Amino acid sequence: MIWHITKRELYDNLNSLRFALTTVLLLGLMLTNAVSHLREHPKRIQKYNEAVIKSLDGLASHTDDSLYMLAQQGPGMLYKKPSPLYFCAEGGEHLLPDVVEGGSPFGYSDNLRGVWKLKYPDANINMKRVGPDVTKADWAFVIGYVLSLIALLFTFDAVSSERESGTLRLMLANSVPRHTVLIGKFLGALISVSIPFTLAVLLNLVLISTSSVVHLDTEAWGRLGIIFFTAFLYTCLFLALGLLISTRVQRSAVSLVILLLVWVTFVVFMPSTLASIASEFSPSISSEPRWKRHNEIQDELWTKYDKWLWTNRTEKETLTAKSEFFTKDAEAEERLNREGLTEKVAQVQYARAITRVSPATLLQHLLESFAGTGFERHLQFVENTQRYARQLREFVADTDKSDPESLHIIGVREGMTKKKILPETVPKFEDTLDFNKDFNTRAMELLLLALFVIVLLSGAYLAFVRAEV
Amino acid sequence: MLITLVRRELLDNLMTFRFAAAVFITLLLVVANTAVLIKDYERRLEAYNTALKTHQQQLRERKTYSGGLLEIARPPNPLSIFNVGLDKQLGDETWIYHSYVPTLWDARMLGTTNPLLNLFSSIDIVFIFEVVLSLMALIFAYDAIAGERERGTLRLVLTHPVSRGQILLAKYISAMICLLVPLLMSLLLALILLTTSTTISLSTSDFLRIGGIIFSSVAYLSVFYFIGMLISAVTRRTGTALMLSMFVWGFSVLVYPNVIVAAIAPPYTSQARMVSTFDQIKQIWDELDRERKQFLANDAVPGEDPSFGMVKSGFAYEYFYEDSSVLYYHYGAGAHVEELNEESEPSVPHAQDYYRFLVPRSVDTAEQTWLVQRPALEAIFVQPAIVDRILLRFSPVGMYDAATQAWAGTDLHGLRDFFEAARKYRRTVIDYYYDKNAFRAREWFSADKGAVDWDSLPQFSFQRSDVRIHAERALPDMLLLLMMNLLLFMVILLVFTKSEV
Repeated sequence: MIWHITKRELYDNLNSLRFALTTVLLLGLMLTNAVSHLREHPKRIQKYNEAVIKSLDGLASHTDDSLYMLAQQGPGMLYKKPSPLYFCAEGGEHLLPDVVEGGSPFGYSDNLRGVWKLKYPDANINMKRVGPDVTKADWAFVIGYVLSLIALLFTFDAVSSERESGTLRLMLANSVPRHTVLIGKFLGALISVSIPFTLAVLLNLVLISTSSVVHLDTEAWGRLGIIFFTAFLYTCLFLALGLLISTRVQRSAVSLVILLLVWVTFVVFMPSTLASIASEFSPSISSEPRWKRHNEIQDELWTKYDKWLWTNRTEKETLTAKSEFFTKDAEAEERLNREGLTEKVAQVQYARAITRVSPATLLQHLLESFAGTGFERHLQFVENTQRYARQLREFVADTDKSDPESLHIIGVREGMTKKKILPETVPKFEDTLDFNKDFNTRAMELLLLALFVIVLLSGAYLAFVRAEV
Repeated sequence: MLITLVRRELLDNLMTFRFAAAVFITLLLVVANTAVLIKDYERRLEAYNTALKTHQQQLRERKTYSGGLLEIARPPNPLSIFNVGLDKQLGDETWIYHSYVPTLWDARMLGTTNPLLNLFSSIDIVFIFEVVLSLMALIFAYDAIAGERERGTLRLVLTHPVSRGQILLAKYISAMICLLVPLLMSLLLALILLTTSTTISLSTSDFLRIGGIIFSSVAYLSVFYFIGMLISAVTRRTGTALMLSMFVWGFSVLVYPNVIVAAIAPPYTSQARMVSTFDQIKQIWDELDRERKQFLANDAVPGEDPSFGMVKSGFAYEYFYEDSSVLYYHYGAGAHVEELNEESEPSVPHAQDYYRFLVPRSVDTAEQTWLVQRPALEAIFVQPAIVDRILLRFSPVGMYDAATQAWAGTDLHGLRDFFEAARKYRRTVIDYYYDKNAFRAREWFSADKGAVDWDSLPQFSFQRSDVRIHAERALPDMLLLLMMNLLLFMVILLVFTKSEV
């Protein structure tokens, strides 16, 4: 019986104007998305590759010189790898920094130079762009805004129009349980929305995967699968909402007005308004106290090690003191850099947590994570660089230890091994994405989305069961 | 008769749920966002005031003409609360130096304590109107004709001796009155919030500009009402009219503005133009460098040290600054000598000679560079932006946005006014130097015989342009909106008079 009702709904929908318009709109959007991705992505990849080659060249030349140079100069610039699924969610990638700096040892004087540390550049505001700032034709936009609106347009009159035209009474006069009717209607709407959406997605993916410039591996396809599933869940949410309001309200016009207002509030305004409220009312961050602490630490270090620093003697005591000074100074600065970043990140996390009230934000977060872009991805990248920094420092220490002639004093030329190191053995930074981790951190939000759907569906069910015909 | 019709429509509309909902949502959104926007404005104003203090401090510490910085800042625009435009996106602090012409592209950004927060897009009042009021206009319009036709009341009305044009007009007037209620009420609340904030002071010209924004909003609303009415006139059933209206709304408000820039070819990056212009600029400065070296080689002091080895305490600097991505290149040299080396007193006249030669030449070179730099920057950065804007204008949203930005002064013109003022101020400062004979003075590089007195230096103050200029800038888009109104009305009239009841 469910299937019967579904089929009836489906035929109704497939012949309607909204179905045709939806198909055209979604196909057009996804086509635009694919075309602009195919145009932009090779540039991103090329930029990344060039930057990485340059940075690896620097690393190789330091390695070539000596282990000391490597310990002093560090890995250089560490770049964030652009995700192949950039077209799914842009995620404010153009505002996030794409690099962590691991280098720039401080020169105290010509022959007194510290060791490298990690530095996190600020978000890059593109002050050169004077044009209007409106380009976000990614999947997150198509699904979050357009598809949800379409889902509402498919369900706002599902019950109320039948009530208006009297066919609801007719249908319920048969021995059909009410929940069957409701589920049938839900499935019918879901299938009719999914047909144009799936078509559009297929068109998009065919274009992208057949072109030679973008390579999608198995993992990427897995991620795309989950993104597709999330999109379904999100569509279901709005279908259920449409059914609920449509059942509660007598006239379909009123139902649409309510739905549109709810939609505008939750999808268009809620995310930005809540985020700006959260960020406006959070205390402003000042880097001054951090710099003050930095200066204090440096003063302390200077008074402690001053007597050794300006001599050129090479006995063990002086070398150890120098090495300790360099490492401690770099460590302190790196720690302060990290604290500064953590403070800023905490503010953003807070604002992001608050905006989660809106399902559109939930979807945005989910899509960003699975596409490997956006804020969470940026944090993962930062973590990757930190892990790599530890790895490189360990490598330097271990290599030095393996040479018995060395004094094992890191950061001073006289205290380290003079042996050549093989460039292949030096660890290279490779920015990776961890699918399992992404999935685990997002499972909560996925569940929340599912919960929304269930609540709204049961609401629609209860309303329908109690509704007078 | 018209009055009767208007009254009937008005009563019909005012008592509806959609009217209550429209008022409620608009008020809620506008009030919530205005509170946040005012807070944001206050923060930016504070950053601006702090910057002003720092600049004063810097000027006081500057004891020679060439040592230290002379910086200026752009005050945040209070009308950015209505349409933020580029106000927060472009640099607002630049510096005045004789061998450098300030441009929009090498300005700095003031006081963002956490740039990561830019990830969240901010909402201004015009955006709320853009989305909510256009939706409202369509919801009011979709059944204006189709609904009456379905119910049969249209036939009834037409049995009276009224022309069809009058019916349309009555419907239009009453709906616009209803739509103006949420618009004006929310603006009133926003203005009350604005005036209660002590940091924001609005002048008469500001109020006139707000009037311009309100006028554009009304024109925008009416465009959408007409679109809805047209759809209502051509479709037979309200259901179809509603569906079509929603798709038109979704497309023109949501989809088109967001997608069009990505869909059409990207802003062309004229890398070749950039490189060739930069080479040209470099050559101009190389020429100066050659002359400078020649001068140093021919004078009586051996060596090529532009500080002439005079500095005992203080500092001397010499640099070539370059950033090829914004065609920024200049040479600067100067000193701040607190104490002279004992034996270098004889070098002082040489240094004076040197700077008398060098500084006017650098001023000229900077201006020469600007002549080359300006058209290139226009072609590389401004042209693509203008193309984007034109593309956006195919949707009423684009016209409305551009018009309100022009009124608020947060469009590209408004921001370039500041840099124009900065360039003018640079000229003023250079003229001041000439008046004071600063280039040949000992105080150009040395403060050992007394510091420079900056009290008579003309102060920089940035006045936003006149209301009339804002009106001129908003005019094209306002005209477009009005013409669209007229066109739509004529089409509706045509369709409606031809249609069967």
